[in-house]
Amino acid sequence: MATEAHEQARSWQVAALSEVTVVIIDDEPVSRMTMAARLRKMGHRVLEADNGRKGLDLIRRERPHLAVVDWLMPEVDGPTLCQLVRQDRELKSVQLLLMTSNDRPAQIAEGLQRGADDFLSKAASKEEIFARVYAGVRASALVRDIEAAKDELSRYNRLLKDKQEELEAELRSAARFVESLLPAEGSPVAGTSIAWQFVPSLALGGDLFGISRCGNEDLCLFMLDASGHGVSAALRAASMNTFLHPDTLAQVVGSTEPGAVLTEANRRFPLTADGDYFTLWWGRLHVPSRRLTFASAGHAGAMVSRSGGASNWLNSPTFPLGFDPSAAFQSQRIELEPRDRLLLMSDGMYEVPSPQGDLWGRTRLLDAITSGRDLPLPACLRVCLEAARRWRGQPDFPDDVALVGIELS
Amino acid sequence: MNIRERTANNATVLHVEGDITYATRATFKTAIEKARYAGCRNMIINMEQVRFVDSSGLGLLALVAHAFRAGQGRFSLLNPQPYVREIMNLANIHTLIPIYSREEDALAGRTELAVT
Repeated sequence: MATEAHEQARSWQVAALSEVTVVIIDDEPVSRMTMAARLRKMGHRVLEADNGRKGLDLIRRERPHLAVVDWLMPEVDGPTLCQLVRQDRELKSVQLLLMTSNDRPAQIAEGLQRGADDFLSKAASKEEIFARVYAGVRASALVRDIEAAKDELSRYNRLLKDKQEELEAELRSAARFVESLLPAEGSPVAGTSIAWQFVPSLALGGDLFGISRCGNEDLCLFMLDASGHGVSAALRAASMNTFLHPDTLAQVVGSTEPGAVLTEANRRFPLTADGDYFTLWWGRLHVPSRRLTFASAGHAGAMVSRSGGASNWLNSPTFPLGFDPSAAFQSQRIELEPRDRLLLMSDGMYEVPSPQGDLWGRTRLLDAITSGRDLPLPACLRVCLEAARRWRGQPDFPDDVALVGIELS
Repeated sequence: MNIRERTANNATVLHVEGDITYATRATFKTAIEKARYAGCRNMIINMEQVRFVDSSGLGLLALVAHAFRAGQGRFSLLNPQPYVREIMNLANIHTLIPIYSREEDALAGRTELAVT
């Protein structure tokens, strides 16, 4: 019997029979004590109450697996007690066994309707009592299991949400840092005006651009894209930003000549073990002569929009940094005219997918820049960004979007 | 991303379906490494069903090309779609990885037939 009882305990998912608490609520002492004695013999912890009100308090306090409740009691009777227990969400796992001396179907129906889980006739045999108590405890153990699983799920859910928020906060702070590195709009060197649009993606893309004075007559410009996303891309972009500072370049490269800058950057920033790398466009604009010298390492986002209306990309295929450790990058040179515009952009500016997955593409961007030629520079950039956003069909972009314009006066 | 592996002569051909991007690079890398560990020395990526390769995807292709080159192996691409080809040309990838239009040329590794 003892082994059998332990088997039962296992099947109820409780550690021991003594962990099963049963409350007996009956105003009639003899019947109550007889039932209590029988259940104690089964190995359970048994608590007693001699009226409905005390019984309800006991159930609320002890949260038993099972309550055996007499139908007829003064003040709060059995069915009312069942009803009160069922109204309490905290007591879902308590199984209610309603005890009655007569078992007319109408009465049984009423008892079930008001919240009882099962019935027990006062004339029931010892075996029947055991069977119904077992069934009640098993059901209660199941409800407890489900509630425990639900609790655990909501705990994990909370944990996940917290982690997610933490991550997003980190990304936001990294994005703020990247934005703090961006240049001021306006006119850093007389004879030029600068405007830009930058929309960091939710996933933080690692794009960065810079404009700084080199000496009195030159403007150094770069557009950088660290491959990958997230904090690691932003950190790598920030480290490259330090390298590209004119003071650093003066020390480690000895010049701001574009080919030399890129060749040194290529040597210093090899492909990472994860295949991450930079594409970089570096240019130097001699403002008095309007001569632009530039070099590109796999960065295809440079365009000239001529004052006459034509626009063209400044592309020649080159490796991104780190693809070929021995690569030597060459400078190219073009002459600009007054009112010509130089535009630098991240690939996120044209690799914009529509809701159907089609990309906006370089041709549409070129057309947008060309048709914005008559607008002031800041408005032209804004209009391009709006066109990309319309194509996208939603306000955010999958990658960082950067668009920088420099106009010569 | 869906990757189907096939052996042709002495080469492993990976038919890639979907985009090669930051989001799919782990799957792509795993498929390539699996074939490399199985002893593959000549790998051809069939790009016909690849719609888009982002900067992470390009980096991964370059990394794999370096790994094959270091191990005296061959790594080539087959039939990229026009937009993907444009992205690759901008990054000069064709000078690092031979790109073929016909599988038999890729299998034979005929450098003079690699298209730019």
